[in-house]
Amino acid sequence: MKSSAHHAAHLPDAHPIHLGAEIAAVFARPGVGPWAILALQFAGSLVMIAALYWLARWLRLGGDVRIAGREHAAELAEATFPGFAAEDITVDRARIGALVRNRAGQVLLIRRHGARFVARELADHQGIRLDRHTLTLETGDPRFGALTLDLGADAQTWAASLRRLHGVTVDHAR
Amino acid sequence: MNFPEIVHQAIQQAGTAGLDILPFAVPFFVLAIALEMVWAGRHAPGAYEPGDTLTSLLMGFGSTIVAGIVAVLIAIAAGWLYTHRVATVPVVWWSWIAVFVLDDFDYYWFHRTAHRIRWFWASHVNHHSSQHYNLSTAVRQTWTGFPALSFAFRIWPAFFGVAPGMLLTVAGINLVYQFWIHTEAVRRMPRWFEAVMNTPSHHRVHHGTNPRYLDRNYAGVLIIWDRLFRSFEPERDDDPVRYGIVHQLGTFSLKTVAFHEWRAIGRDMWHAPFLSKLGYLVREPGWRHDGNHTTSAVIRERWIAMQPEDEITGD
Repeated sequence: MKSSAHHAAHLPDAHPIHLGAEIAAVFARPGVGPWAILALQFAGSLVMIAALYWLARWLRLGGDVRIAGREHAAELAEATFPGFAAEDITVDRARIGALVRNRAGQVLLIRRHGARFVARELADHQGIRLDRHTLTLETGDPRFGALTLDLGADAQTWAASLRRLHGVTVDHAR
Repeated sequence: MNFPEIVHQAIQQAGTAGLDILPFAVPFFVLAIALEMVWAGRHAPGAYEPGDTLTSLLMGFGSTIVAGIVAVLIAIAAGWLYTHRVATVPVVWWSWIAVFVLDDFDYYWFHRTAHRIRWFWASHVNHHSSQHYNLSTAVRQTWTGFPALSFAFRIWPAFFGVAPGMLLTVAGINLVYQFWIHTEAVRRMPRWFEAVMNTPSHHRVHHGTNPRYLDRNYAGVLIIWDRLFRSFEPERDDDPVRYGIVHQLGTFSLKTVAFHEWRAIGRDMWHAPFLSKLGYLVREPGWRHDGNHTTSAVIRERWIAMQPEDEITGD
């Protein structure tokens, strides 16, 4: 079978088309080399990224999400650890975070992340500090960071119960 | 030179030197993301989060820079294979179709492997690390695919005579196709389309952390591979998809998104007993030498054990 490549080679004005070069030629100016075009692409891409980021902010996308209540906190815990049956729940007064405990004594710390929520298991009482109505908690995961929750009267009881934590951190590679 | 001749020669060039359509698609990507943001502003403001979007866009930007650098090396590897080829596949219309389907098949197995072997997962996980699912998520691409040797899945046909240019071209088309399926704005496509093609609905499942959806729907363009190799899972209205990864990152940091799993592999290998170290590279994500696995299979099994029968089957 005669290939199309063979056919193309016999076209009267056959010469390889380098589309990139042809497009570059449209914009080519004396003294403007390929590095200038690359720099232009680089800058153009960053401008486009900035413009899209600005648009997302201008449209107020994401919004101000909060934990709706204890039921919502339980749902978030179950979503993080399938089968996690919340038994004891306390939600921050500003509803930006929550602590959820199951019957086995596992405790999840939930916090807001952008327009979503993330949770980590609290496996150790190290890094837990009580200050009147607020509890500052660290999970040992630097990415998660420390979180201060205003729990009102619950702060004292939760601080007392969290002192008993000495479990092993559940590590998830996925 | 008239238009048909330009098209003809462009196709010929695509078969030899390759035609990367990605740069031509980028302006449409930008426009589509902007339009989806406007849609989200009216219908689903939570579908986007500015910080998350910025991270995704910068990951995409970085990946194009990395791709530009390593493309030469991949081209040399494919060229070497083609030089030592055992046959020659002609560059004609039917071979374009065949190569496209073959490359999509290769993509399926690359993608499946990327989820089942932690070494490959480490370079792919960043694409899944967003808790949102929108068109900007599509461009949250890897920076470390080349050192992970992911390209090996796609260039082997050169040894059997497929021109490297054809492989580059169809891989670009495959990638561009996958852009539009990263959206919640499209609910379902017509039934015939959903049966054959990868769609927003099928790919939402792929990005899900719900136990039912974990490690399902690996397809690139054709969903038939998942149906054929028993990895297909339909999206269910009674089980809304929760996006991201099982252990959500909780940060928009570029460095973390790009490299966190490599770092975790290093940490796990460092602490593991000598004979178990390799397991953290070649076993599935979530595998642990002490038996305390949190692989997708384990998570699904635990979940199934807790469900009533009709909850699983949907009866």
